[in-house]
Amino acid sequence: MKKRRNLAPYLLILPSFLYLAVFFAWPMLRSLQLAFQRDEKILVLRASPNDENADETGRLEMNTTVTISEREKYDEVLPNGRTRPYYWFNVSGADVNGNTVTGWTERKNLDVKSAASSEEARVRNGDPVKEWTLANIKRMVNDGRFSEALTTTLLLMVIILPIQFVLAIIMALVLQSQLKFNSIFLYIYAIPLGISDLAAGLVWEAMFKQNGFLNSFLVKIGVIDKPYIFLSADNKKWMITAIVLAEIWRATSIVMVIVVSGLQAIPRDYMEAGEIFGANLWQRLRHIILPLLKPSLQVALILRTILAFQVFAVVVAISGGRVLTVLAYETYRWYDPSDTGFNNPNVASAYAGLIMLLSLIISIVYLRAVRAQEEAAQE
Amino acid sequence: MTPRTLDPVQRRALRRQKMRRASVYALAILIALWILLPIWLIASQAFSNQEDIYGFPKTVVPTPVSTETMDFFLNYQGILQATRNSVVVAVLTLVLSTLLAMPAGYAISRYIFPGRAAFRLSILAVRAFPIVILAVPLAVTFIQWGMFDQVYSVALMHTALTLPTTVLVVSSVFASIPVELEEAARVFGASPFQAFIRVVMPLVLPGVAAAAIFTFVMSWNEVFAATLLTIRNRTLPALILYTLNKSPLEFQYAGGFFMLVPSLVFIFFIRRYLFNMWGQITK
Repeated sequence: MKKRRNLAPYLLILPSFLYLAVFFAWPMLRSLQLAFQRDEKILVLRASPNDENADETGRLEMNTTVTISEREKYDEVLPNGRTRPYYWFNVSGADVNGNTVTGWTERKNLDVKSAASSEEARVRNGDPVKEWTLANIKRMVNDGRFSEALTTTLLLMVIILPIQFVLAIIMALVLQSQLKFNSIFLYIYAIPLGISDLAAGLVWEAMFKQNGFLNSFLVKIGVIDKPYIFLSADNKKWMITAIVLAEIWRATSIVMVIVVSGLQAIPRDYMEAGEIFGANLWQRLRHIILPLLKPSLQVALILRTILAFQVFAVVVAISGGRVLTVLAYETYRWYDPSDTGFNNPNVASAYAGLIMLLSLIISIVYLRAVRAQEEAAQE
Repeated sequence: MTPRTLDPVQRRALRRQKMRRASVYALAILIALWILLPIWLIASQAFSNQEDIYGFPKTVVPTPVSTETMDFFLNYQGILQATRNSVVVAVLTLVLSTLLAMPAGYAISRYIFPGRAAFRLSILAVRAFPIVILAVPLAVTFIQWGMFDQVYSVALMHTALTLPTTVLVVSSVFASIPVELEEAARVFGASPFQAFIRVVMPLVLPGVAAAAIFTFVMSWNEVFAATLLTIRNRTLPALILYTLNKSPLEFQYAGGFFMLVPSLVFIFFIRRYLFNMWGQITK
């Protein structure tokens, strides 16, 4: 390796660094800003006309009705030498506290029928005012679906992760036991790595549908005589089951791959020593494999937990997003500018911030727990 | 040591070992079926006719095999355009992500410099971050910049999502090539750039290609950000998600199958590199 002071490595990492600054760090700060700011326009009234820097005499909210008491006409000289008239109005109206405020403002800030004669107008424009506020957070927490989204997300995580880790370790051990056709098994076990959450959701919806494969199977073997409706609004348990199965089916492979690469790093001597001293599989697992796998399992756990907070398309595909909701779906619903959504990026950002915060807390807790254990082991 | 000379105890041990071996095979096949059966079933629905789609009970093999459902899906309004958008987004993401990651990966694996550990750590942190969530502020920003609802802005978002993984994978690929090869080329008079292009590039190409394919699949599959960042220029998953509640069953089955086909193909090509890719990340 080259060690003298060298600009080359900095130049080489610069593009990635800049890219992540623009498309990662900046949007992250922006989302916190959106979540904690009131982003509205406020009309600031001035003490004298045609002077944007005149003293402030009051503030009006958008859509306030105001009465016009005076008006001034000015001429703006355009670059081509012609002139264009523009108006300033002295208006009064009720501010946010109900007090009447009076002051000057430009025509572009008002909805006014006739600049020369109208006596009434409506505030339609102003300066963007950015105030720090907890209003978006309050709105998120007070929303009827908030607690359900949070509990469903956590519930799914608590059910899915343990099953996933046990299954992944079993899959990894099977792959490590040098079977014939090992590469075929490896390929099959890795297929779900490339399957999207949406596709997985659609696949498992086909299983649990009223005329789906599970009902076909159960009717054929005679357990039930007519199809059972698994996925209905008053049958949340089956809906959760379908989502859990879809997530286990889809996202266990990633844990498996991490566990296999962890297993490959365990020196063969350790395993052989265990076998020579007559340890059975469970003893080897408990005393050799799992302790040595800990770093890999820790990485997989952090990765999977953070992905679990983002669970989205599987839930939408199976429940339509209405019966069951999760944090990521609420983020989408609040952002969504179409008729069914709220078109409110501020509350959506509050949800995004919550997901970030939960991910951060979980990572820190895991890392702390592992470090505490390691320190205890050293003493 | 032929089996004939074994005493009963040894024979019993041998039998037990064979039994154990057989049960491992049974387990391996069971897990394989757990993964393959749902894929087979959705494929069987995608290649059946309308009668079958709405019929009950369903059969494991469609009778007759028909392209009716697949045709219906592919001719559904907007699907071809959305598929094209998805491919464009995924290719742009692949190219951008690989171009940015190559130099960074090379720097991490070949140089020791102040800030190297910090850079690597921040890449790891970004990798574990719920990046798709950033689609909300990015959508707001893109609207302000006039970049909203564009195929390339989805690719920009997806690159942020895939770049950390690509950097780590590419750096592990470079780390597996002995630096001595490069130095030998330098001794024989090659410039650093020539040494890189002539000696290192051919060796890292398969690994980098595997990383690039994985990038493609990640982008092809991504739903959340794509749905938030587009309205008319939907990618395939975004369009399918958006039309989910209004679309007929054929659409959902064929769509589900159509989306998972690339993973079947691409994972086959990169299966040998998967552990190299992830081994590095666990360190």
